[in-house]
Parts: sequence; structure tokens; C-alpha cells
Amino acid sequence: MNPKKINLVVIGHKDHGKSTLIGRLLYDSNAIPEQKLRQVEEELKKSGKKVFEFAFLLDSLEEERIGGLTIDIMQTPFKTKKHLYTIIDCPGHKEFIKKMLTGASQADSAILVVSAKEGIQDQTKQHIFLAKTLGISQLTVAINKMDKVNYDEKKFREISKKLEEFLGSLGYEKFPMVPVSAINGDNVFRKSKKMPWYDGLTLVETLDNFTSPSLLPVNKPLRGCVQDVYELEKRSVIISKIETGVLECRKIVVFNPSGEKGSVRKIEMFGQEMRKVGPGHSVGLIVDGVKGIKRGEVVSYLTSPASLVRSFIAELILFSGVEIENGDVLTIRCGTAEKKCRVHTISEKIDPVNLTLQEKSPSVLKEGDVGRVKFVALEPICMEKYSEIPQLGRFAVEGKKGTVAAGIVLKVDVMKEPKEDNAKA
Amino acid sequence: MGVKNTDTEYLEELEKKSIAIIREAKAQFKNPAALWSTGKDSTATIWLCKKAFFGKIPFPVIHIDTGCKFPEIYEFRDRLAKEWSLNLIIAKNEEAIKKGVSPYKDRFECCTLLKTQALRNLLEKEKFDALFLAIRRDEHGIRAKERYYSPRNEEFKWNYKDQPAEMWDLYVKPSEDFSHMRVHPILHWTELNVWQYVKQEKLPINPLYFANNGKRYRSLGCQPCTVPIPSNAKTIDEIVKELKKSKIPERAGRAQDKEKAYMMQKLRSLGYM
Repeated sequence: MNPKKINLVVIGHKDHGKSTLIGRLLYDSNAIPEQKLRQVEEELKKSGKKVFEFAFLLDSLEEERIGGLTIDIMQTPFKTKKHLYTIIDCPGHKEFIKKMLTGASQADSAILVVSAKEGIQDQTKQHIFLAKTLGISQLTVAINKMDKVNYDEKKFREISKKLEEFLGSLGYEKFPMVPVSAINGDNVFRKSKKMPWYDGLTLVETLDNFTSPSLLPVNKPLRGCVQDVYELEKRSVIISKIETGVLECRKIVVFNPSGEKGSVRKIEMFGQEMRKVGPGHSVGLIVDGVKGIKRGEVVSYLTSPASLVRSFIAELILFSGVEIENGDVLTIRCGTAEKKCRVHTISEKIDPVNLTLQEKSPSVLKEGDVGRVKFVALEPICMEKYSEIPQLGRFAVEGKKGTVAAGIVLKVDVMKEPKEDNAKA
Repeated sequence: MGVKNTDTEYLEELEKKSIAIIREAKAQFKNPAALWSTGKDSTATIWLCKKAFFGKIPFPVIHIDTGCKFPEIYEFRDRLAKEWSLNLIIAKNEEAIKKGVSPYKDRFECCTLLKTQALRNLLEKEKFDALFLAIRRDEHGIRAKERYYSPRNEEFKWNYKDQPAEMWDLYVKPSEDFSHMRVHPILHWTELNVWQYVKQEKLPINPLYFANNGKRYRSLGCQPCTVPIPSNAKTIDEIVKELKKSKIPERAGRAQDKEKAYMMQKLRSLGYM
């Protein structure tokens, strides 16, 4: 009754048909309540439009209809034979990079929409690059607007080839490509009669066959983030969210950066006692032999403790209204920790459109820029390489008005002794 | 229809995310409170709060009383508040009620004054910096645009065009710029999920949800503005069966959702739930 859930982000250049494709996916799968459909039909009649534009279905906000731009991310699920997909719509306009990242950051898989008429454009590349950086490895390509190129096989092959080269160069290995026409419905849910030269699967069949939900990271080393400490009637309970691995009772754990060690006496979960608990759970721990544990600490086993870092190198994506220079002190949020780190060196500015090194050792990174930055931790902080433990390998940079940048950790310089002097760096 | 193993696992996934969100909010905000309408969604949310805090919710639970709720709601509220030892605060805009504000005159004004304004008055008095609400994405198109943490400014307005970035589970922090943060622990649950959870946890449910004389309420608003649906569903299992067959949205009986186009959007941008 409850199928596996997959979070899907739809990316691609502006006006290549992302919204139309999403509308088609929802409409053909009957995900849209009749009342809403009737509402849209009435609106269309009033505005004198003849063609049923699927993008209208997604526009629940009046203002969005101006200019045909979708302003924010909307989450709407649709069901196929195999899975339940939650689509995270991605606006294509340059200014919305922050919103795009917020959507993509929750995705398991992406559909890349490329117009058969226009081919690969700036934002096509930009979105792919960002998706890769954020760790989205499952990608399905929809080569859309085939109706505008007369369903021509040559066009499809041409664009497929260019995409293969581009995606391959980024490290993508498998990315099925489907020729579709979202506006007419060809090859989205139903096989197209207009493209007899294409003997592959429809887009939805492709999704069902090639996309799988993210697996829980139970086989990774234990990492838990302390959210809080509750002083209950007779006990002090350390509230921790398990990010990776499995926490078991009676094992010895260590909290970093404090270095406090102890044995797990009890794992409490809302009135139940557990012997072991896996990723995603927020639990109450009673640990013998530790004191003064605070929010922000990371709990792990002594056999493979969390890495206390002295410095780290990250790929940083800047949102709007922020500039970063060498020497800046920033507040980094990683897990439940919030620590001050100094920008040691901005070693590279990367052009997300052309994927080339834009500038070596730039003096500043600005809004929309992507850069490679070395940070020095001014306070002890636990971080991991994103490729190894993504949950502690990603961070947000907090400005006065909220998150101003997001980063992925590429390399860490681990402190050998927990109490080592940070100032040496 | 029994609750199969896979369903239990599925609900566990939903539950653990909700609990983590509730605990994060408690850690980040100094003076939180939860809204409770006594409906199934907010009752489930209050139950989740109880679980998150090992039995006793360490902050107030607010009921916005418009004065024209169904009598069953008042009964249910008082009984459960006692049973669950809730620190119950009742928000009521007495002034507006005395002035004779009513849905028969102007529904928009009525909702705004008796609900939104009542809440606003309470917030000014108590200075809550975070409010837990039981909204879900699948309830209404407008709510589908919400985030787990959603700030409201001094004027209680929801700036839906410029929502702050919510990367992974690093939720928006408190800031002087906002009057309060709305926290939505069951945003990712569906109507069906809520019923499954209610059944699994054996939560008390307002009798209005069950059929009486061939009718039942799918969504509980105020008495004058809530319309029942034809139904013979007398148990949760029967409700679930009915839900799976129906394509009619849950809030179809709620007048403010239908009335003018985008009234819901306008209400929300002024601070409505």
C-alpha cells in the first residue's frame, strides 16, 4: 500500500519545458484532483486560451502566471506501477539559484530536460554541474519538444551524442535518454506513434527501471549529532540524531569535540527502550561516564571516531547577497554544530557554465559563484569528506539573514589529538 | 485492513523525521508553542510532541476558539487536555465576537479577525518565537509550497516569493527579522498516512469524523462554514476505504478554500494557517 518513495528533481534550461513535463507527469498519472483540473479549465476559458497548458496546473500562485515563470519549488507526488515520485520542480531562471539548490538538495534522482530545438544551453550545463556537486548520481534525460523538430531522429541523435560527451566528462556513467513531447504526451506515459525509429522505453518506464530510492547508510561508521540534552525526572537524556551507522546499547561511544567517553546504558525512543537504532532516528541516550555534553557534539564509536578537523577544503556555492574574501570569518553549520571558521584561501573560482577554471586565487567570490576554498577551523568541528559520509560532509554558511552559501567537503585535515591547539593552523 | 509490517515501517520513517524536526525546533527556539484544532492532524502532531519529549510537552498548546466551533470540539478538547496534561491556552478574539463579526456577513473578515487576529493578539502577549502547526503538503495547493520551517515577519505576513534556503536538514534559524517561525512537523504526511497513524497509535479522534445519519465531516472547521460529506464510514478502516476511492480533496467542504480564487493564498499571506 505504501510504495517506495523517490525524490525527483527536474532540471534544465529555462523554457525547455520542465513545467510542462511535470504537468504532463501529474496529469497522466491522475495525481491531480478533479476539482483542481476543473478550476484550471475555467481559468483557461476566461483567459481565452485554447491549448491546455500543463504549466498552469503547477501555478497555484496568481503572480506566477505573469511571464510564465514559476516562482517557487512545489512538491507534488505522482505514482507509477513501481514507485511514488515526489517531484521537486526547478525554476530555470538564473536568479533562482538558491531555490534550485534547496530543491535539489533533497533529491535522490534528477530528470534533465533538454529542448530538441535548442539543444544544450548554459543553464543545462549549470544545473548538471550543480546536481553532480550535490551528489545526485541517478540521472534520466528527457529530450523534449520533439514536436517542434518534426519528431526527427537525426536531431535526437545529435543532441544525445553531445550530452553523452558532456555528462561522461563529468563522471556520469549511466543516463538513459528518451525523446519526448511533454505538451502532446509522446513517450512520457504512453509510447509515441510519431517516433517509430525509437524502440526504447517511455520516460516513466525508464524512471521505474533505472531509478531506485536512496538506501539508508547503515554500513557506514556511526555518526550521530547531538540535538539537545533533556533533564528528565531522574536522568539526563542526550538527544541525538543518528546520521549513519547503527548505535547499539552497551557499546563505548565518544563525543567530539569534548572527547567525553562512556558506555551506552539505554537508548530511549518515546517510551520504548531499544537495543539498537539506525540512521534517521532521533533518540534519547543515557550514557554512563560522560558529563557536560552539549548540542553540536558528534557521537561515534572509538573504533572509528568522528574526524575533528583543523582545516578543510570545500567546494562552495554562493547564494545571493553575499561576498566572500580571504580572511573572512564565517559561521559554518554542519550537522547540529555551528562553528566559526576562517577563509584561509580561495584557491579557485569555477565557471559553472563552462566548467572551466575561471580564475586562480581570486580575491573574492560573489553571489552565484562556485569556488574551491580552504577553511581553517577556529573552534573544534567534526567534519567528513562528502564522498565518504555526506551527512557530515555538507554544510551551510550562515549569514545575518539566514543561509548564504552551501558547501561540500572535498578534503579534511584531521587533528591527531582531540585537544590539539587549533591556533597552530 | 490490518496495518501490515511494511506500513509500520513506512509510518516509522515518517514519524522519525517529524520527531527530529520537533526536537530541532525545541533546541533552536526559546519560547515555542503548538497550535491544536482538535482535528486529526493537530492531535497527531500533539501526540508526536508528547513522544518527542518523553510524555510531557514542555510548552503551551493553543486552541483558537472562534466561538462557533462544534460542541463536540469543545468537549473533546477539554477531555483530552486533561488526559494528556496539556498546558492549554485558549485564544479568542472576544472583541470581534462582541462586535458581531460573522461568516454570514463576510467570510474573509470573519476568518481574519476570529482566527488570525486572535492568534496575533496572543503572540503579542506571550511572545512565542515558534509555532508548531499540523499542515500537510497534500492538503492544498498553497500549502504545497511550504517548508518545514517558515518564518513570519512582524506583520505576520508569509513572504512566499522569497522563502529562505532550507538545505538538507539545516532549518532556518531564529532571527530578529521574523516575529515567529512556523514549524511543520507533518508536512510530508498524506491524509491517508495520518489516518494510518491514528489507528496504529490508537489516538482519540473527534466523533464528528465518523458517520452519523449518513453524513460525516472530513475536515473540521467552524460550524457555520463546514459542510459534511455523504458517508457511512463509521470506523477508521471504512474511512480509509472511502478515501482511496474518492478523488474529492479533503478540504472540499471548507468554504474559505473555495470562495474567491486565491482567497486561501491571500489569507495565508496575512498569517492564516
